[in-house]
Amino acid sequence: MAVPAKYPHLNETQLTEEARSVLIRVIRVAFPHPRFPDAPYERTADTILDEAEASTWLRVALTQGLLTLSHLAGGDFRELSDDDATKVLRRIETTQFFAFIRRTTVLNLYDNEDVWVVLGYEGPSFDKGGYIDRGFDDLDWLPGARIESYGGPKLVEIATGVPLSNVRSADVTARDTSNQPGQSPAVMQEVKK
Amino acid sequence: MTTIDNNEEAIVIIGSGAGGGTLAYELTKRGLPVVVFEAGPYLQNEDYNNDEWEAFNQMAWLDPRTTSGSYRIARDFPNLPAWIVKAVGGTTSHWAGATPRFKAHEFATRSTYGRIEGANLLDWPLTLAELEPYYDKAEIAMGTTHVHGRKPLPANNNYTVLANGAERVGYKHYSTGPYATNAEEYDGRPASIQDGFNFQGDKSKAKWSTLVREIPRAEATGLLDLRPNSHVVQITHDASGRADAVLYLDADGNLHRQGAKLVAVAANSIETPRLLLLSESPMFPDGLANSSGQVGRNYMRHTTGSVYARFDEPVHMHRGETMAGVIADESRHDPDRGFAGGYYFETLSLGPAFLASFADPGAWGRAFTEILDAYANTAGLWIVGEDMPQESNRITLNTSVTDTNGLPVPNVNFDDHPNDTAMRNHGYAQAELLYEAVGSIGSHRTPPYPATHNMGTSRMSLEPENGVVDKWGRAHDVRNLFVSDGSVFTTGAAANPTLTIVALAIRQAEYIANELQNGGI
Repeated sequence: MAVPAKYPHLNETQLTEEARSVLIRVIRVAFPHPRFPDAPYERTADTILDEAEASTWLRVALTQGLLTLSHLAGGDFRELSDDDATKVLRRIETTQFFAFIRRTTVLNLYDNEDVWVVLGYEGPSFDKGGYIDRGFDDLDWLPGARIESYGGPKLVEIATGVPLSNVRSADVTARDTSNQPGQSPAVMQEVKK
Repeated sequence: MTTIDNNEEAIVIIGSGAGGGTLAYELTKRGLPVVVFEAGPYLQNEDYNNDEWEAFNQMAWLDPRTTSGSYRIARDFPNLPAWIVKAVGGTTSHWAGATPRFKAHEFATRSTYGRIEGANLLDWPLTLAELEPYYDKAEIAMGTTHVHGRKPLPANNNYTVLANGAERVGYKHYSTGPYATNAEEYDGRPASIQDGFNFQGDKSKAKWSTLVREIPRAEATGLLDLRPNSHVVQITHDASGRADAVLYLDADGNLHRQGAKLVAVAANSIETPRLLLLSESPMFPDGLANSSGQVGRNYMRHTTGSVYARFDEPVHMHRGETMAGVIADESRHDPDRGFAGGYYFETLSLGPAFLASFADPGAWGRAFTEILDAYANTAGLWIVGEDMPQESNRITLNTSVTDTNGLPVPNVNFDDHPNDTAMRNHGYAQAELLYEAVGSIGSHRTPPYPATHNMGTSRMSLEPENGVVDKWGRAHDVRNLFVSDGSVFTTGAAANPTLTIVALAIRQAEYIANELQNGGI
C-alpha cells in the first residue's frame, strides 16, 4: 500500500509509548494467563512493533487500530474491565489489525522460556540426559499399564456380519480391481451369430 | 563416497527419505552404484535443535506451496499443506516412529468396502501375503519394538494415561508400540533417553532414520554419490520415451544434467507428482507417466485429529518418546460405526509453542489460554485413520505462483470425504470417553495438523488406465521410471505409512536389481 504523496509525514508515524501500553493491554486481554508476569506480554508487544516496521500495510493497520480502539471502548481501552475489553476485541477480531496481533502473539508469546517455566514445560532436554532419569514415568495417580502387545485373541480386522461386495481371492488377476463405478472392466469383442 | 560423472547413464534416485534412502542402500549393497539427489542440506544428528520453531525452520520443507479446497488447512496454513522435512534422511529425520503394518483387507478396499460415493477406491495390485516378507525385513532394519525379539519401550506418563483409559473403555489392543526406536541398544545405536524430541530430529540416534542407517551404510559401500542441496526439476526422455536424464539445480541455482539409465522418484507425495508434471513434453503432454490422468490425484493425508485432555494431577506429556503408545482396537473395518475403514489412537505431545499454533488456529481468549494453562496436567493423543482417495484431492502446478527458482509451485486441493469426517468425529468422541474414564476434567479437539502423512498421488494399479505405476512401483508408461515413496499407495490404510514405504522400497530394490541383471530394464 502506497502512502499518498500528499501526506509524506505519514511515513514518519511513530507509535507512542501510550500506543505500546494499549497494545500490551490488548495482548493481555486476548491471551489471558493469570500466572504470567508482565514481561512476556511486553516482549511480545515489542516483537509486534518490530514486525510492523517491516510492512507498510501492517504498520498503518496497527497504528490506526491502536489509535482508534478508544472509539469502540468509549474511552481509554486500558481502563475497561477484562470482560468489557474482551467484548471490544470480539467486535474487531476479523480485522487485519487484530489478526496481525493474534498471529504474532501465538507465534511468539509461547516460544520463550519465561512462559515455559510457568506452564510446566521443561524445554531442551537432550543435554540433560533426556527424561529417562528425570521423571518420564513418574505419574503416580494411575496404576502402571501393560506395555506389551495384548496376549488375548487377535483383533478381529473385519467386523463379523459385514457384507462384503466381493470376497478377496488370492489370485490378483481374478480380483475386481476396477475403478469407480463399475464392478469390472467391460470386455468388447466380436459377436458371432 | 564415489563421484559419478554427469554424462554417465546412472541409476538416479530423487530423495533420500524412507523410500529413496532405503532404495539407495539396498541397491549399493548389491554392488550397484547410484546417484541420490536430495533437495535439502546434509544435517547431522548433532545439528538438530531441541526447540520447536528453531527445528522447524532448520528442517521443514518451506518452499512455497499453495492450497485450495474446503479443508481447514487452506484457511489456517494456506502455504503449509504438509509438515515434512527437506534434508538428507527426508521425513524419517523427524518422524515419530510408529510402525503398524497394513491389514490384509486394506490392500483390497474396493472389494472390502464396496462402492463408496465420491471415493476413487481401487484394490492394490499387491497382497499382504506378498509384502509380509518385506515387512519382516523392514521391521528388522528399523528395529521395530514388540517384534523380532525387540523389547517394548517403557511406559511414559502420557502412555500411562492412554493405556489406563483404553483398558477402562474396554480396548484390549494397546501397547507402547510397534515403534522404531530402541528400547535397548540395537544395530549399533543406543537406547532411547526419552528426551521427548522426535519432530525436531533425534539427536541421540536411538530412533531409526535413513540418516542414521541406510545413508551411512550406502556411503560405506563406496558406491553412493549423494548430492545434497540438489533439487531435480525435470526428468527428460529420449525418442523412444525412456527416461534418459534428470535436470537439477545446485545450491547456487545453476542447472545441471545427470544422465540416467533408470530414475526412481521418492520426493514425497507432493513433490513426486510435481516433478512428473514439470516433466511434460510433446510426447507426454499431461506430464511424464500420466496417460491415466492419475498423476497428482487421489492425494491422501490420513484422517487425523488430536484430543488434549486436562486432569487434576500432573502428566508432563512432553517427557519421553512422543508416539510410543498405540491403540489398535478401532483400526478394524466395522461399518456399523458409520464409516468404512479404521483408525488408530497414538500418544502425542507438543510443546507450548506448537500447541499454541496448532491447538485451535485462529482462536484466542480464555477458552484458548485454558488449553495452555493446563499444559503440565494435559495428556494428548492423535487419531490417525484411513482417508478416502478422491480424484479431486489433487496436486497440480500453480502456474501463477513460482518458487525462488521460478518454477510453478504445487497446489494442494483437498476436501474431506464424508467418510473421513464421520471417522474423525468418532475418534474425537471415543478419545473423550477414554480420557473421561480416567478422570479428565475437560478436553479439547484439535483439527488436523499440516499433513505429515502424504500418500497416493502416483498410485499403483493393475490396469494402466487406473493408476501410474505397477505393483513394483514401475511406471506403466515409462519402463525405466520408478516411484519409490508413499505416492504409490493405492489407498492409505489406517497405519502410519513409513514402515510400508520402507518395505516396498526393499522389495522394489530386489526387483530392480534382478531386472537390471536380466536385461529387463
